[in-house]
Amino acid sequence: MIRVENIYKQFGDVTAVNGVSFKAENGQVTGLLGPNGAGKSTTLRMLYGLVEPDAGAASVDGVYVNDDSIAVQQRIGVLPDTHGLYTRLTAREHIHYFGQLHELDRKTLLETTDHLIELLDMGSIAERRAEGFSQGERMKVCLARALVHQPPNVLLDEPTVGLDVMSTRTVRELIGKLRQENKAVLFSSHLMHEVSSLCDQIVIISAGKVVAQGTPDRIRDLSGQQDLEEAFVTLTERTE
Amino acid sequence: MNFAAAGTVFKKELTDGIRDRRAVMTAMVFPILGPAMIYFMFNALIDLRKDLEEIEVAVIGREHAPAMIDWLTQHNVTFKDVTEDPKQAVRDKIHDMVLVIPAGFQHRFAQSRSAVVELVNDGSRTDARNAVGQIRNLITSYGRQIGAFRLVSRGVSPEITQAVIVQNIEVASKQQIAARILNVIPMYIVLAAFVCGMGLAVDSTAGERERATLEALLINPVRRTQIVIGKWLAASLFAAVGILLTLFLCFFTLKKVPLEEIGLSFTLGWGQIVGMLAAVFPLAFMATGLQLLLGIFAKSFKDAQSYIGVLVLIPVLPGIIGTLYPIQGKAWMNLVPALGQHILLMDVVGGKAPAIWNFVVSGITALLVALVCVKLTAYLFRRERIIFSR
Repeated sequence: MIRVENIYKQFGDVTAVNGVSFKAENGQVTGLLGPNGAGKSTTLRMLYGLVEPDAGAASVDGVYVNDDSIAVQQRIGVLPDTHGLYTRLTAREHIHYFGQLHELDRKTLLETTDHLIELLDMGSIAERRAEGFSQGERMKVCLARALVHQPPNVLLDEPTVGLDVMSTRTVRELIGKLRQENKAVLFSSHLMHEVSSLCDQIVIISAGKVVAQGTPDRIRDLSGQQDLEEAFVTLTERTE
Repeated sequence: MNFAAAGTVFKKELTDGIRDRRAVMTAMVFPILGPAMIYFMFNALIDLRKDLEEIEVAVIGREHAPAMIDWLTQHNVTFKDVTEDPKQAVRDKIHDMVLVIPAGFQHRFAQSRSAVVELVNDGSRTDARNAVGQIRNLITSYGRQIGAFRLVSRGVSPEITQAVIVQNIEVASKQQIAARILNVIPMYIVLAAFVCGMGLAVDSTAGERERATLEALLINPVRRTQIVIGKWLAASLFAAVGILLTLFLCFFTLKKVPLEEIGLSFTLGWGQIVGMLAAVFPLAFMATGLQLLLGIFAKSFKDAQSYIGVLVLIPVLPGIIGTLYPIQGKAWMNLVPALGQHILLMDVVGGKAPAIWNFVVSGITALLVALVCVKLTAYLFRRERIIFSR
């Protein structure tokens, strides 16, 4: 379970996150929805401990990031918004490297790696060096290395951006599986239709503030729009 | 503290580094380049000397000793047949000297008796003195060589007739050049410490930023210091291997170059090699520490190279100052990284054995600087500006 409690973050004169609160429950997919520059990435970064909030707190499974960021990092799997790979390592070596950083024992590491390669349909690239991987292939490697330690909470920053139809589908299926495994899945997106088809809960943020949250039905009610896309536009426009 | 994560990072960076052609090239080419240059410079120097030695000799009775004439010709002596009175010709300065081989030469030679040749020269002429001396030496060594063959054929070691051998070591200009080339070796080895690990150090910091892999790496539940230590040790291993390679190539080059031909005695013993390694290894750790720290400020490999180019000046500085004003080793100098190592190396190469505490003090200073760099780099890995800006 992920909980964000009234956090703030200022960069120079710009207030990136202006008092955001929400939670993501186990066994549910929570979508963090907002236009570009709304503060989604900054919020996630404060959750996984790379950006320090100016005020407020974030916790994972009851552990606060400020108190013990390492304990939090052990409980989360993260797909950050940068999808860089080590061009001279193979896909399998990427997964192994991250698994070893999580200090998995050898047996578990080998098993999980094989499992993830099969799950994400990476058989053909597993032994290839990452140099020249396509967007979709890179994304799969990033997802696999984020999940190698089988974290109970998963944070995905724009997991489908730039992907073709087939890769997008793989990612959606993966998110579904993670929900079945009773994990708390929090993912950000600026695409309403994607969020609506996947999420149990939606948190819409705009200009650093939460403008609406709840189930897709509740969002429709709040905005007075039947179409979620229209609802999103109406709600974000109200804050600007 | 648990160093498992540092080990993981170390192994990964090593795998990555060995596959990185750029890093391997800097670590391999540099150690080869210096010794190769030393080899060619020395050979050029030796050739130069041989060219200058060509001497022309007026000769009478060349037909009486064809074997000796051949041998001398091979040693850069050219002959001119003359017929005039040798003493008068030398007195009149027509020739520098005249070699007279009498008719009885062959006969006495065949009987293993001392065959006599006359070298007519004017001892008051300083301009001819060198050439005369060299011809005299050449004929003497020819005679000695033949004598040695005669002894060997009678089953006697020629060394019996050479109770004492004088090895001539000159310190004239050409030798000075040679000695200066040899003095470059310590400086070159110090440079190797700075150059050989650079590729990996930069790739694992600036490269990590350039490829946008830093964020994902730092989300792992690992202390930053551990990550930096892993990177640092991997780069240091590259630097250490580069130093070893440089040192051994220098060692074998000096064995190959015929230094005695220019009257220079220089040996690099195993003791000296161990001493040099003990002096330079700590410097490798300092160099990579500094490179990691500078590398993390750079956004790309190219960006980093411009910062780190300046860094290479540090180890060269004591060497350059040393050639202008000879540095007198003082105790406080051990506390200055790079300078301390330079003095240690000069002492070791010069055949002096520095005290153990000298090694310890300069080693510890270098390692301390390295650890400060590692800590600072780890601190910078926490900065949002470093992690996210590209």
